[in-house]
Amino acid sequence: MRVDIRTKLLIVAIFSVLALAYQDPRTLGIILLLNLLTVILFRVPLHIFRGFKGFIYMYAALMVIQSFFVRDGEPLLQLGSIYLLTTDGVLYGISIMLRFFILVGSGLIILNCNTSELILALVKLRIPYEIVFMIQVGIRFIPVFMGELQNIFHGIQLRGVDLRRVYKRKVLKVYVSIFSPVIYSVLQKAEKLSILLELRGFRKSPTRTYYRDISLGKIDYVIMTLSLIITAVLVYAVRH
Amino acid sequence: MAFISLQEVSYTYNGRKEAAVKNITLNIEEGEKIALTGLNGSGKSTLAKLILGLLKPQAGNIVLDGLPLGKYSLVKIGEKIGYVVQNPSQMLFNTSVFNEIAFGLKWKGKGKDEVFHLCKKYLEFFELWHLRDELPFNLSEGQKQLVVICAVLALQPRFLILDEPTKSIDTFRKKRLKDILQEIWRLGTGIMVISHDKEFLTAYGGRRIHMVKGEVVEDAGRYQN
Repeated sequence: MRVDIRTKLLIVAIFSVLALAYQDPRTLGIILLLNLLTVILFRVPLHIFRGFKGFIYMYAALMVIQSFFVRDGEPLLQLGSIYLLTTDGVLYGISIMLRFFILVGSGLIILNCNTSELILALVKLRIPYEIVFMIQVGIRFIPVFMGELQNIFHGIQLRGVDLRRVYKRKVLKVYVSIFSPVIYSVLQKAEKLSILLELRGFRKSPTRTYYRDISLGKIDYVIMTLSLIITAVLVYAVRH
Repeated sequence: MAFISLQEVSYTYNGRKEAAVKNITLNIEEGEKIALTGLNGSGKSTLAKLILGLLKPQAGNIVLDGLPLGKYSLVKIGEKIGYVVQNPSQMLFNTSVFNEIAFGLKWKGKGKDEVFHLCKKYLEFFELWHLRDELPFNLSEGQKQLVVICAVLALQPRFLILDEPTKSIDTFRKKRLKDILQEIWRLGTGIMVISHDKEFLTAYGGRRIHMVKGEVVEDAGRYQN
């Protein structure tokens, strides 16, 4: 099934808005279920989710922290007069976790798309080419900077800094050390890129042609209509 | 016993069909001088990263100084093997050349006087003392390369791996680099230079290991001085 990227963008926008608009864990659970179905339908490799396992612990910790601030609900765990865990705190923590997974799922739908098609879709959505180009450059350089960052992490450890044993007061110093070469590299690449763009006639002509083309087919209109209907039904059901 | 020993080591990058390193068995003695050669993509840098524990072999074993490589942390490997990457800017973290050399020494727990003494000694050896207050990022690529080598050597590793050290330096600095490496080697530090710069390697000498498509096809002393 070949779906136009604009259809995917609409679905991602719907999921993102719904995830931020609702707070009830049951509603967010339904949205996540629909999100997962969409992810499977668009054949996004599900093993990517395994990389987010670590976040579950983070949200478990967040739930506990929330309980200190969210005083409502029944106490589940308390130390004297201090509530360590409350029902509302747990629900709030679950909501944040569900929201996060909805946003990750939506992001994966886009990440699984062809970058050139994504850029073309944004241009066709009448977003100024300068802004689209910045997005394109951002996407293009993410793996480069990730690789560089990893090299720096390795380099710093091979020069005797055990990152696991750095004292708290020195953590900031070490991270400044790590990010200095990255910032330098970003500035250097940006400067080179701007020169190269000028040399290759960037914005010389007001109109620009594209080798690829994208077009909306029948299946796109069917999916878009269905998505909007499902969203309307969900919003109506939650309200009543 | 070899200082570094590789037994039938293989490694394939994620998403690639062809192995970057295929079934390599290699013994490197302490204090040895090696030239690792091969075309781009032949697996030279991958082999170096495997030796340094930056990549984990999918098959085979690597032994460093009598212990399996997996037993060492990166910091411990760094104490035995110094590594200079292709792009020296990735190894510059400090606001002055002096601090760059002092960086690793301070983390090693050396005292203030000892740090100063060692920095001075190595900077003078590399003829970089006059640049001690310069911002490392403002130096030329060749100077950056020397600063990084100097910083790594100041930690006194027993073995040094340099990945494409002559990539962006002129003929004069190549000769200077060759002389420095010769002197370091004479003082007892083993060196492995990864390069395809024939002119430099001919002058550098040492045991030549040549790689093609992830395999060692030649292990001889062609570049021996």
